[in-house]
Amino acid sequence: MTASGMLSLIQQSHSVLNPSSPQARLIDRLWDAMYLVSVIVFLLVVAALLWGTFRRRGPEAPETDPGRERSLTTAVSIATALTVLILFGFLIYDVAVGRQLTRGFGKEALQIRVIGHQWWWEVQYRDSIPKNWATTANEIHIPAGRPVALELLSNDVIHSFWPPTISQKRDLIPGKDNSLWLQADTPGVYRGQCAEYCGNQHAKMGFLVIADRPDSFASWLARQRDTALTPTTALTRRGQEVFLASTCVMCHAISGTPAGSRIGPDLTHLASRQTIAAGTLPNTRGNLAGWIVNPQSIKPGTRMPPNQLDPNDLQALLAYLESLK
Amino acid sequence: MSAAAAPAPVPQPPPAFEDRERVRRELEQTWDQPPGLVPWLTSVDHKSIAKRYIVTAFVFFVLAGLEAATMRAQLARPENNVLGPDAYNQFFTMHGVTMMFLFAVPIMEAMGLYFVPLMIGARNVAFPRLNAYGYWVYLCGGIFLYLMFFLNTGPDVGWFGYVPLSGPEFSPGKRADVYAQAITFTEIAALVGSVELIVTIFKNRAPGMTLNRMPLFVWAMLVQAFMVLFAMPWVATATQFLAMDRLIATHFFNPAEGGDALLWQHLFWFFGHPEVYIIFVPALGFVSSIVATFTRRPVFGYPVMVLSMIATGFLGFGLWVHHMFTTGLPQLGQSFFTGASMMIAIPSGIQIFCWIATIWAGRPRFTVPFLFVLGFVVLFIIGGFTGVMIASVPFDQQVHDSYFIVAHFHYVLIGGAVFPLFGAFYYWFPKVTGRMLSERLGRWNFWLFFIGMNLTFFPMHQLGFEGMPRRVYTYLPETGWGDLNLLATLGAVTIATSMLLFVINVVKSLRPGLPAGDDPWGGETLEWATTSPPRHYNFEYPPVVESRSPMWESGPEMPVVTGLRTDVRDTLVTTLLDAEPDSKHRHPNPSIWPLLAAVATTVLFVTLIFTPWGAVIGTPLLLLTLLGWGWPRGREKWEQQLVESEA
Amino acid sequence: MRAPRAVADVRALPRTVFGHRALMWWGTMGFIVIEGTTLFICAMAYFYLRRNNFTTWPPEHIYRPALVIPTIQALLMLVSIIPMRWVDRHSSRMDIRGVRSGLLICSGLILIMCVLRIFEFQALKVRWDTSAYGSVAWAVVFTHTTLLVLEAAETLAITALMFSPTVEERDLSGVSDNALYWYFLTGVWIPLYIAVYLSPYFM
Repeated sequence: MTASGMLSLIQQSHSVLNPSSPQARLIDRLWDAMYLVSVIVFLLVVAALLWGTFRRRGPEAPETDPGRERSLTTAVSIATALTVLILFGFLIYDVAVGRQLTRGFGKEALQIRVIGHQWWWEVQYRDSIPKNWATTANEIHIPAGRPVALELLSNDVIHSFWPPTISQKRDLIPGKDNSLWLQADTPGVYRGQCAEYCGNQHAKMGFLVIADRPDSFASWLARQRDTALTPTTALTRRGQEVFLASTCVMCHAISGTPAGSRIGPDLTHLASRQTIAAGTLPNTRGNLAGWIVNPQSIKPGTRMPPNQLDPNDLQALLAYLESLK
Repeated sequence: MSAAAAPAPVPQPPPAFEDRERVRRELEQTWDQPPGLVPWLTSVDHKSIAKRYIVTAFVFFVLAGLEAATMRAQLARPENNVLGPDAYNQFFTMHGVTMMFLFAVPIMEAMGLYFVPLMIGARNVAFPRLNAYGYWVYLCGGIFLYLMFFLNTGPDVGWFGYVPLSGPEFSPGKRADVYAQAITFTEIAALVGSVELIVTIFKNRAPGMTLNRMPLFVWAMLVQAFMVLFAMPWVATATQFLAMDRLIATHFFNPAEGGDALLWQHLFWFFGHPEVYIIFVPALGFVSSIVATFTRRPVFGYPVMVLSMIATGFLGFGLWVHHMFTTGLPQLGQSFFTGASMMIAIPSGIQIFCWIATIWAGRPRFTVPFLFVLGFVVLFIIGGFTGVMIASVPFDQQVHDSYFIVAHFHYVLIGGAVFPLFGAFYYWFPKVTGRMLSERLGRWNFWLFFIGMNLTFFPMHQLGFEGMPRRVYTYLPETGWGDLNLLATLGAVTIATSMLLFVINVVKSLRPGLPAGDDPWGGETLEWATTSPPRHYNFEYPPVVESRSPMWESGPEMPVVTGLRTDVRDTLVTTLLDAEPDSKHRHPNPSIWPLLAAVATTVLFVTLIFTPWGAVIGTPLLLLTLLGWGWPRGREKWEQQLVESEA
Repeated sequence: MRAPRAVADVRALPRTVFGHRALMWWGTMGFIVIEGTTLFICAMAYFYLRRNNFTTWPPEHIYRPALVIPTIQALLMLVSIIPMRWVDRHSSRMDIRGVRSGLLICSGLILIMCVLRIFEFQALKVRWDTSAYGSVAWAVVFTHTTLLVLEAAETLAITALMFSPTVEERDLSGVSDNALYWYFLTGVWIPLYIAVYLSPYFM
């Protein structure tokens, strides 16, 4: 993805007021109703305030006029009664929307497990056959138009999963299993960011939810389930050697190779992802190089250490990583 | 021996009335606080202590404002480099901790500690030395926190300090311990202040000031004090649990050993929600005082106003889960909190309607305090409405932890609490200093603050809708959040300018400005019955109250009670409900022990950050200072005779 | 300022009063409310963790608490109310000699309670850093212990004051307030004892 591609992606897809799912639409309509009522009441109350302040009066000091006190009592009582009615109305509407949102896990929902880490998202597509598990990071593909059940866990501190255009948020809490169901109406790319302060790089813990057409989704998932493509050229073979000989293997896994650490994001299909560093940079060769060599300059405090590589080794590594589609 | 149930009536004025000069001289001598360091350190005068609280809290307000300004400078452009993530995280934590713990609660309590005794016709608060102790603990805590901040050990876990991030595994070092114990200092001071206010209001009111005749401001402080009493222990316990998890490996919040990350949130927010009402309710009292004086009539609907404040106090304890709507708690339980969170808007709404009715029926005067009240109503309604919106679980689950929330709470805190506070500053500055603040500068202060506040925080609603989370040190340019953030930063500059104008106004007026006289505004309540500034003894004779508006309804003479001694610090104690004179109480002379006890308390809690043996070092030290404080001394034979002669 | 007009004279009012007529009584009540709330919170945390995170309580490999010494302590606390009530009554009667002897007994009792408290910690049969169970059981007992220690110091100080030559009538009001705090300290321990020591046996 290019930088301008990222620009238009984020601008379209980051808004609560631009709903692309049943849930987000329900909430958007709720907002519209509350906003309208609030504006009307605000104008009425401020008008009453200003009118009361600026209205013309006679020159004498105010006497306590029982008639006026009575009519003021009536006015305050009516205003209070209207307040209670409006709030009650909101309450009923809220609870109804809430119930609709928590309903809806069906057997046909696709189950995906998301595990929060400081500062990236581990995404697991599980299956009854362990061989069919697929693990990726920071990018969640879902079939458009089909409900998806996310199982949300945390590996360390509390995070929060929030793609505003298609879903409200849910926290990832260590020691607690949370769940969230969502559904994207149409194919598209929807971005979100972590929404619970989780340390130094909370600000750059983004993710993408990509809704595919069902057939594209099936083929994507099938590819993700495969082990990594074996390097075919001399350069990419050299790149794999560099990878396996460096500290990379302490944290990153590439299935089909001896690298199996789950500390950092799984790189098996790195090249199939649109962004790197948890939605922070488009996945280009230049960005990848900068990230590998000095992640601290992009996300200060991140757990990935700098890696001084020989320039030829770096080029080989990049070529290898770019081959991991 | 049984106490006399009713005071003996006196048919003619006692001789003292004919010699008010002598009485004044004796009172001055008995209650004197001469200039100098030692009298200042040993003072037990509630006004002296309250002024310190107010000035210190204002300094913290400015510091927190500077922290906010730096944050706004960082966020004005995407990928900015004014503050890196580590510094930014300390800054936003310090901003929150300073505003909530070192500024807002102390200054509200201090306004109460200054004005409540005056409004109820008392000479001091119920426990003068305890009051001093509270201030010193607050000061020590604030200094300690900022010292650690300047040493790069400032807390960086947010003012809400969620575990496990703030726990031993993910916050190594001492920063989170500083957080946990700094809160302890402010919480002790707040509890001290609340006990003072409750006991003073219950037992030291002027004869005739039944509960039904208490000024609305005094009711507000009473409600707030009770809230502090019941809310503070929750944050105290939570922070001590956190400190122990970090220091001695307990497992309160460690899921691996059966602890619970949500336990922290429940404990913290059970305090945290009442906390914001603790800040807000005194402001309701300010508004009532200002509205009454500047519409020249009592506030409309007194009983309903009192019940509304009490209802707010109670309901405030039933809302805390609305801070946890995204944690995955069961939906039915959450709906209960939606209902409660909406219900609390009702008493607030009623109060606004009553104030508008008061203005409607009265004759408003456009002084600066009144302007701040108008600003309060407008801003607080906006914040109140966004509050009702986020009471909704589905809606909150979209905007929680986004800038929409930042917008909401700044509208209710700045609009709902700080605007009335500034109104109160302009209103009561003449009483405290004997000088008037400049109306012209005050109007500039108000308008710049009002415009700046809206410029800064209104765009944040939109930023929240556009997906900008809270507590982020930067954001990508592609998000498009840059323009609104820049606008917000310009607003922050406007606010800073308005604050500068306020400080200039205060400095100029002290230099000296226009003299104020006892009652420049024609106020309703008893603080205007005495000099500006009040003498150390407040009133020559305890006033007697015969209505809700003692300054407006008691005729050309001030009814008073005689019989208190002028050669010792004598005060009157009255009954709880009907404020009938019940006993006399001798207040302590100035003392150094509160300061020493506060230092011992500081030693205890600071050493506890580094080692559990701090308890062994600090506790005996503290007990020793308490012994020195409490052990009666300086009693001589003539005092025994004093007691005997009155038996 | 307006001229004063006397409507009452308070010269005859007493200086030494008891119960809710005294300021210090209210101060003591304030402290009781604060500390009572804190103990309540600890107990709530105890039950919250138990209900949410544990299937057995105590968790596996941890013994239930021993009961002998904690039960003796609980009974001693209840019984100690009797001499303290005696002191309370005699203080409002201004009988300083009765107060002195009563306070000596109470001082002795509270020192015994402090010693027993050391054994009560051992009776928990778990360390504070073993499982959330240990942490929260220790939290309840330790918080109460801080109050026990403070009250011991206060009682000893007041006893000493009663024997000092500068003691005054109004100090007896303070004795009565100390009794109020004593009732709280001992009374609040009973539900806490039941929660921490007994409930692992039947819940």
